[in-house]
Amino acid sequence: MEFFLQQTVNGLTLGSVYALLALGYSMVYGILKLLNFAHGEVYMFGAFAGYGVLTVLGGASAPLVPIWLMILLMFLAAIVVSSTIGVTLERFAYRPLRNSTRIAPLISAVGASFFLQAAALLLFTANSRTYDAPKLIAIQTGIPIGPIRVWMVRVLVIVTSFTLMILLTLWVNRTRTGKAVRAVSYDREAAAMMGIDVDKVIVVTFLIGSALAGVGGVMVGLVFGRVFHLMGFVAGLKAFTAAVVGGIGSIPGAMFGGLLIGFAEAYTTGYLSSTFQNLIVFGLLIVVLLVRPRGLFGRQELVKV
Amino acid sequence: MKKRSQWPKLVLLFVAMALVAAACGGDDDAGAGGDTTTTAAAAPAATTTATTEAAPATTMAPEPTTTTAVEMQPCVASIGFIGPITGPVAFIGEVQLNWMQYAVDVFNEELSIDISIVEGDNQFDTAQSATLAAQFVDNADMVAAVGPAGSDNVDAAGAVFEDLDSDFSFVSPSSTRVGIAATYTGMFRTVPTDAEQGPTTADYMIAQGASKVFLIDDQSSYSTGLADSTTAALEAGGVEVVTESVSQDVTDFSALVSTIPDDADFVYLPWQVAANGQIFANQMAEQGKTIRIFGSDGMDSEDFTAAGSLVATFAPDIAGVAGSADLLAGFLAEYESTNTFGPPVFVAAQVIIEATYRVCMTGATPDRASVQAEIRNTDLADSILGSPVSFTSDGDLAGGQFFISEIQEDGTKKIAG
Repeated sequence: MEFFLQQTVNGLTLGSVYALLALGYSMVYGILKLLNFAHGEVYMFGAFAGYGVLTVLGGASAPLVPIWLMILLMFLAAIVVSSTIGVTLERFAYRPLRNSTRIAPLISAVGASFFLQAAALLLFTANSRTYDAPKLIAIQTGIPIGPIRVWMVRVLVIVTSFTLMILLTLWVNRTRTGKAVRAVSYDREAAAMMGIDVDKVIVVTFLIGSALAGVGGVMVGLVFGRVFHLMGFVAGLKAFTAAVVGGIGSIPGAMFGGLLIGFAEAYTTGYLSSTFQNLIVFGLLIVVLLVRPRGLFGRQELVKV
Repeated sequence: MKKRSQWPKLVLLFVAMALVAAACGGDDDAGAGGDTTTTAAAAPAATTTATTEAAPATTMAPEPTTTTAVEMQPCVASIGFIGPITGPVAFIGEVQLNWMQYAVDVFNEELSIDISIVEGDNQFDTAQSATLAAQFVDNADMVAAVGPAGSDNVDAAGAVFEDLDSDFSFVSPSSTRVGIAATYTGMFRTVPTDAEQGPTTADYMIAQGASKVFLIDDQSSYSTGLADSTTAALEAGGVEVVTESVSQDVTDFSALVSTIPDDADFVYLPWQVAANGQIFANQMAEQGKTIRIFGSDGMDSEDFTAAGSLVATFAPDIAGVAGSADLLAGFLAEYESTNTFGPPVFVAAQVIIEATYRVCMTGATPDRASVQAEIRNTDLADSILGSPVSFTSDGDLAGGQFFISEIQEDGTKKIAG
């Protein structure tokens, strides 16, 4: 039982981060039918922004401000940096190609991904950085759950992720802009005819998706420690898988997909072997695509004939 | 009129400061600081670097005065450097390049010769290593090269050197795979092989009374090869070995940490990314696992500081080598920091430079064949590593040995075996 609980917490932590990242993929795909392959790099820049704030404010060993304020500022910096990059990408890498062929923005996204990786390499060098969160929040602190104790940083990650997911759901369903996002996602042309500013909705979508990725970057830095210029690739790939498994374009699907992939990784490592981790995750993707091509929560596309 | 808020400007200023701080903040990896010469990140093309800095005197260079009657020609040559100056393990390449530059500066001044470096950034990529090897062979002024780091890259470059010019010598400062030096005519190395590391590691664990070891390789050929040799030695000693495997592209090892058996005596990590080893140690602490971590030479870095853990090193910490104090001080004055990957580069460069110098001393113009012959004759009574340097007929370091260090509470290391 202890082992199962521990792996559940491990899976929940990882899955929460994947879910936040998957939301960005899913939201952008929902409105633009674009796979934003640069999303992983947006997340990476968020992680570096958080590290920058940590460094400016004295580092984990000697913080100059209260820890709660330090973490809050790290999240804010990551949100500002990531959303700025996301919106800039939309404006300069995707918008000019919006009415082009389907493949053009896809190639542009791949190019943007490599561009951001190279930019990070030049800015931050290839050396990895560590948040050193155990010095910020001691490993001994935590919440006991049965026979195990969950480190406070993990609690923070899980609670923040779920809070953001709930807020996003409320925003999409209850606010005027959220409804506009849904309208654009259903039918961009019809939404424009109804007076919705499609460009603005797309910018807002990139902004929110990228901000969530930035938060995810800081979370990964806090809970797992290491940030480096290539960190967006694997995380982005897993989050993309999560978005597809959940049903790309579906917000609940992205959340569920992220958690599913996180649990799949943790339980595979725990009960089988870490060697099989990727085999199981991507096997899951193949099975879902074969059995339910639109993903677990994806909606059926209606095509007028 | 409504006054505009200053908040957006303040936030932007703060974020800009944060990114600058991230760029300037201390690296995890024991990367070199200071004025390294660098090459473009993605460019495989080699870059020639002029040597300029004066260097502290060393007692390890041969005396420039000689009794030979032959009039010495100006001793001019270039030597190559292949290493991961950028890319995923740039912390290795940067330190190696700094030590290379330092060695050239030291010996140029000591011996009154004119050796220049041609830098090649392989980004730890085998294809780049092969391309650089071909470029180096094509450079008529180049007599030999230091590098590459890592056995996969040695294989890639070695095949090209062997094919195009087997007189071209390359001295690897960090390739430890068994048997690789025998494969290539021109290969030498200044570090011991995994044939020594695996058994040394296993012997230490057995001596500590280990009965069960949890071993996790990092899915690279370096790691799996080392895991195999260590496993064989452990099992021969009656130790049960439980094996696992994990990619170094991930940073969440918590699920794997949960599977560590409580009755294991050591967790052996033959990994190359020491920062991941530290994350692993943190995640072990988080789950209350107190089993001792034993890292391979790839974990011997300032990034891995878990107190009580052990690491194998292919070179000693030269801070503990009395005869190397001046050289180390001179290096640190210029480059600020170093790690275990650096000093073997100094030795590799020294071997090539002194071989070139000996050729010059005969009155001949150094070429690849004559330099290779002199490298084979290398017989340094002492080196910056605190041990003699000569090569076996295969090009391996004669009498090379690994060391076991224990990480102390303050992060320093103490030789444990």
